[in-house]
Amino acid sequence: MQELSQIWTIARLQLSRVFFSKRSFWVYGLALFPSLIFFGHGVEVKYRRANAISHKSDPAALDAIRQGDTPEEVLKAAGTPARDQTFSFNRRVRSKIGKGGVKIEEKREEVQSRYMQYFDGNREFSLNFEGGFLQSKNIRNIINFDEDRRIYAGVFQFFYLRLAIFFGCLGIFMNLFRGEMLDKTLHFWFLVPARREVLLLGKYVAGLIASVTIFGLGAALCYAMMLWPQDPAAASAFWQEQGASNMFWYAATAALGCVGYGSVFLAAGLLLRNPIIPAITISLWEGINGILPSAIQKLSVLYYVQSLSPVPPPMDENAPVLIRLLFSPADPPSTLVAVAGLLALTAFVLWAASRAVKKLEINYGTE
Amino acid sequence: MSTPEIIFDEVSKFYGEVLGVSKVTLRIPPGTTSLVGPNGSGKTTLMNLMAGLIHPDRGSVSMRGLSPRDPARLMRVTGYATQYDSAPRGTTGFDFVATSLILAGHPKSVAERKASEALERVSLSSAAHRKVAAYSKGMRQRVRLAQAIANDPEILILDEPLNGLDPLVRAETIALFREFAARGRHVILSSHVLQEVDVISDQVILIANGMIVAEGQVKNVREEMHDHPSQYLIRCHNASQVASLLFEMEHITQVQMHEDRGGLLVMTRNRAEFSKALTRISLSGHTVEKVVAADDNVDALYEYLIGGGR
Repeated sequence: MQELSQIWTIARLQLSRVFFSKRSFWVYGLALFPSLIFFGHGVEVKYRRANAISHKSDPAALDAIRQGDTPEEVLKAAGTPARDQTFSFNRRVRSKIGKGGVKIEEKREEVQSRYMQYFDGNREFSLNFEGGFLQSKNIRNIINFDEDRRIYAGVFQFFYLRLAIFFGCLGIFMNLFRGEMLDKTLHFWFLVPARREVLLLGKYVAGLIASVTIFGLGAALCYAMMLWPQDPAAASAFWQEQGASNMFWYAATAALGCVGYGSVFLAAGLLLRNPIIPAITISLWEGINGILPSAIQKLSVLYYVQSLSPVPPPMDENAPVLIRLLFSPADPPSTLVAVAGLLALTAFVLWAASRAVKKLEINYGTE
Repeated sequence: MSTPEIIFDEVSKFYGEVLGVSKVTLRIPPGTTSLVGPNGSGKTTLMNLMAGLIHPDRGSVSMRGLSPRDPARLMRVTGYATQYDSAPRGTTGFDFVATSLILAGHPKSVAERKASEALERVSLSSAAHRKVAAYSKGMRQRVRLAQAIANDPEILILDEPLNGLDPLVRAETIALFREFAARGRHVILSSHVLQEVDVISDQVILIANGMIVAEGQVKNVREEMHDHPSQYLIRCHNASQVASLLFEMEHITQVQMHEDRGGLLVMTRNRAEFSKALTRISLSGHTVEKVVAADDNVDALYEYLIGGGR
């Protein structure tokens, strides 16, 4: 009981260091970067939607527009466009001359071009005219909820788990011991009447509180930013059906990633002074884990946490098998096994770290 | 506690290939013990070994029966003021001391009371709620001392504790050490100021190049040094006659007359015989007013055993 109290006291005293350490302030940037991207996307969608409402044209008339139509025909059928730009550009034209076409002559000719943009409320029509006729007609939804959810799943798997949480935990947890060694303050903790294992767990809890708060909230905030510009009715229905559950599992997966990577980098910080070495080594290990034998895969944090993500990451069906394996395990564990496996792996790493911390010595330099 | 001694048994410590201390065997009784030696001699290494901040490569250390590998028990009875600031960034002197006590398991109210008392003992009450980062060198020294004594430890380890202190605080601090030692506790300190070591210490440990050169009470250590003649200052009437009498003795190696011709500096290889000779001289009618050992101090020991380079 007293040791639990000591763990909490140590964790509490370390909180300001883990949340406001100058050495790891960049962690906030990593955690908030996807939210900023989705926020920017949301602002753009809102702007385009406002534009679409103020310049709404008849959907049937827009669908009826065909290649070869003239600008006048389009204007007559669909009315005034949201944007109408006329411009010209030089195009290089190659032609074979001479008998048998042995010589290629390159000329530049001026082409008159025109661009029109229409909205029908939900879709954006981009019409490109060349030489007075419609050459291309591109239609895209102003917002695509399914696509945004897939993008979020991809960002979460490929950026958040593999980069942001990985390097964020490196920044937070490696500094817990290494940073204090650099500041020449670690002896304060070693002179506390507490077992070294208790000190280790206290610092781990502090790192965990900070990393789970930063990355758990970061994942949830990013999800909220993804939902924000969606159609309110569609977003509300989705939230009721699976949105809340998905958001919980994204945040939980981020938190469990912190649990696993935190223990790994805490141990690394005890054994190594240079953070680059564990960063490269563990990054390589996690990266190639998908193509390793099944038994060895279980010694990876990523193996467990990527299975917990509620939506599988988007993957091109034509991607090579090796690439597919690298980003998605062939035999993913169930949720229960993934959580239990991750906690077991974390417990093992912390046990190894507790052995190391007992041998750790204060050596700021010779006296 | 069954063994109230600090024991080093054949302790060696290396930093890679650099020697920290080599085959150190010591039994330090309670009282004030000063570690004396030049920079890099191994003083801080010995202190860090005592506190468990480093571990011996060979041999073992016992702190009044406790192992330095068991900080949960050892640090309840040990206070260590290191030469490095250890206050977490942004903390006040009061918070720094109180935090240590809370970590030692005291309830907050008790910790705060003890912290106030400790800060008062080092005359830092008025600056207690200022940030440690804004403290002067002397104030930092005092707040480290306050942290070390706050839990009323049985073993007090102090690395250069008098550095940066003004004369008044220095005197108060020395009185504090004496009080701890008088209560049967261990006060282990390192210092470069040999005059102060002389005043403070019950015993000294002279260390050079990671090895113990001498240990024990200053007087006893001096007596064991047969290759260096002992020096005495004598104030007497008829100094020239006393000098001629002393010169006749085999154990006297040198006699120098004071400029005022009222005293002598005598060097002898045999303290006991010298004492008997002085008695005989006094009984023969010569007035000997005062006899003082001139090299019965740490400064002299340092010069004899370690040499210059302090």
